[in-house]
Amino acid sequence: MAELLLEVKNLKKYFSTPRGMLHAVDNVTFNIEKGKTIGIVGESGCGKSTLGKTLMRLHTATSGQVLYKGADIAAMPLKEFKQKYRSNIQMIFQDPYASLDPRMSVLQLVEEPIRVQNPKMSKSEVTSQAKNMMELVGLAKRLEGSYPHELDGGRRQRIGIARALSLHPEFIVCDEPVSALDVSIQAQILNLLQDLQRDRGLTYMFITHDMSVVKHISDDIAVMYLGQMIEKCKADEIFKHTIHPYSQALLSAIPIPNAHVKHERMVLKGELTSPINPKPCCRFAARCPYATDRCFGEEPVLRELKPGHSVACHFAEQFVKE
Amino acid sequence: MSENILEVKDLVIHYETDEEVVEAVNDITFTLKKGQVMGLVGETGAGKTTTALGIMGLLPSKVGHVIQGSIKLEGEDLLRKSPREMRDVRGKRISMIFQDPMTALNPVKTVGDQIAEVVLLHNRCSKAEALKRAQEMLAMVGIVPERYKDYPHQFSGGMKQRIVIAIALACEPDLLIADEPTTALDVTIQAQILDMMRKLQKDHGTSMILITHDLGVVAEMCETVAVMYAGQLVEFGSLEEVFDNPKHPYTRALYQSIPSLDKDVERLHVIPGMVSDPSNLPPYCSFFERCDEKCDRCRDFEPWAVEVDPGHVVRCLQYTPEWNGGEK
Repeated sequence: MAELLLEVKNLKKYFSTPRGMLHAVDNVTFNIEKGKTIGIVGESGCGKSTLGKTLMRLHTATSGQVLYKGADIAAMPLKEFKQKYRSNIQMIFQDPYASLDPRMSVLQLVEEPIRVQNPKMSKSEVTSQAKNMMELVGLAKRLEGSYPHELDGGRRQRIGIARALSLHPEFIVCDEPVSALDVSIQAQILNLLQDLQRDRGLTYMFITHDMSVVKHISDDIAVMYLGQMIEKCKADEIFKHTIHPYSQALLSAIPIPNAHVKHERMVLKGELTSPINPKPCCRFAARCPYATDRCFGEEPVLRELKPGHSVACHFAEQFVKE
Repeated sequence: MSENILEVKDLVIHYETDEEVVEAVNDITFTLKKGQVMGLVGETGAGKTTTALGIMGLLPSKVGHVIQGSIKLEGEDLLRKSPREMRDVRGKRISMIFQDPMTALNPVKTVGDQIAEVVLLHNRCSKAEALKRAQEMLAMVGIVPERYKDYPHQFSGGMKQRIVIAIALACEPDLLIADEPTTALDVTIQAQILDMMRKLQKDHGTSMILITHDLGVVAEMCETVAVMYAGQLVEFGSLEEVFDNPKHPYTRALYQSIPSLDKDVERLHVIPGMVSDPSNLPPYCSFFERCDEKCDRCRDFEPWAVEVDPGHVVRCLQYTPEWNGGEK
């Protein structure tokens, strides 16, 4: 049994809105093994980013546990978390255009987290560490004095990666790190992330809406829909034996760059329903082509259908293909 | 010929500012047949949107200039038209769908009024008739017609894009330019919109230029493909030709850099380096620095477009007949 780095148990994050409670992350349970990558997939508004930010303590969980090497980081005082765990858990943000201070140079940006986490470190030590980080992520020395607006998206994302890595974390939440990039740059960044994982034994939680990216980089995949995890299994398993109707629709919606494949696509009707005060029913029922009365009256739970493959659907058995 | 709806020939577009000249579009030539869908593919800064704005006559005034070339819509050169004549062409004969449906709509006007506006501008009809047409259009794109009195913020992203499409199609244009129509949307919504666009395109026989960076979308929607790099068309041909038999090193590299759903690849192919700076393009092939198949001769002059197979045009020195002979 591989070593578990992170155990998430019944994690909930609700936001209070004028119209009621918004269930952004609702009762999510999963584990991440050390050195592995879990891919979190779903459409906008399904709670992927909120989940990432809650693990990072950028949001405080409404209830539930997040055990990092056995310590509950969701419940401990924020101050303690910052002192003991913030360096271990870092995040790479989606938009390299918005997540960097435009008035700081590249070197200053990479120095900042090191300085904040090590207030006693000498200035020259901070600078030399930052320079090492820049080299590690492939930022040329001549860019030290450049400002973010002078750089293209790929280089900016490298700054984001250098900032996250500069504290030598063990676990990195990557929130759509390549969504804003062109395909040729996307390939560079994905390769860099994989190299760093191999060399430093990093563990990733990779949040994305791009199924082909997630297949490429992940060991495990979890599909989210309106705050809930609806399917969870090994990466290749989900592409070979998709069970949940939403996952099926999500996969069939991906356009395939091949002139001859004209696949039958399962086009979903309607759009995401509201996550505010959801009724106790299957949240996908309104769009599901197979929905029955039971789906509208009873909420399905995530259950293990095959070893390592869990699905939240009342009728999961009938979608199992051999 | 009359079977071509659009003929773009030797088009060059520059953006001129006080400091520099940005060569956004460099000598592109292509034709679009009636009823056909062409995919215009390329990365950020390749000049896709500039080409579209050039066709629409919507280049930023003062800065954007068409330096040379012609854009013929059914034989009429759009570049020779006065701004007033172009206003009649836009919206009626050519329409454009913009990338971001969130910003393309006016937030303080009802969606019905926004669709009716185009109808009123191009047809002699009363406001009531225009609004009736607006409701028909809403029904056509799958929105309950009664919602014509709603404002954009009351719709979701996918529905806003449907409204933008309704505005573009309200006057039944001959040519529709869709600039990344689904990039801002989720995949399941993208599937809905693409399905709808394909159906509308077939029903009305509209010709379409689909600008995208997603090769999957191209494979599903288009009959011909044009690949742009640094303002040039590096490859142009039918979907099957370009996808099954890509000739230009850039097109090949582009395929290899996408993670695939059917194949397992350990490492992705990387196109080294960055897109050349369009304000400082080299006098030789602009892909030279990043190319896997380059040779010394590539530095000598700029490659020109060569027809390798009927209808399949590539701009790379290795397909130029004179290349092997040594003399140009």
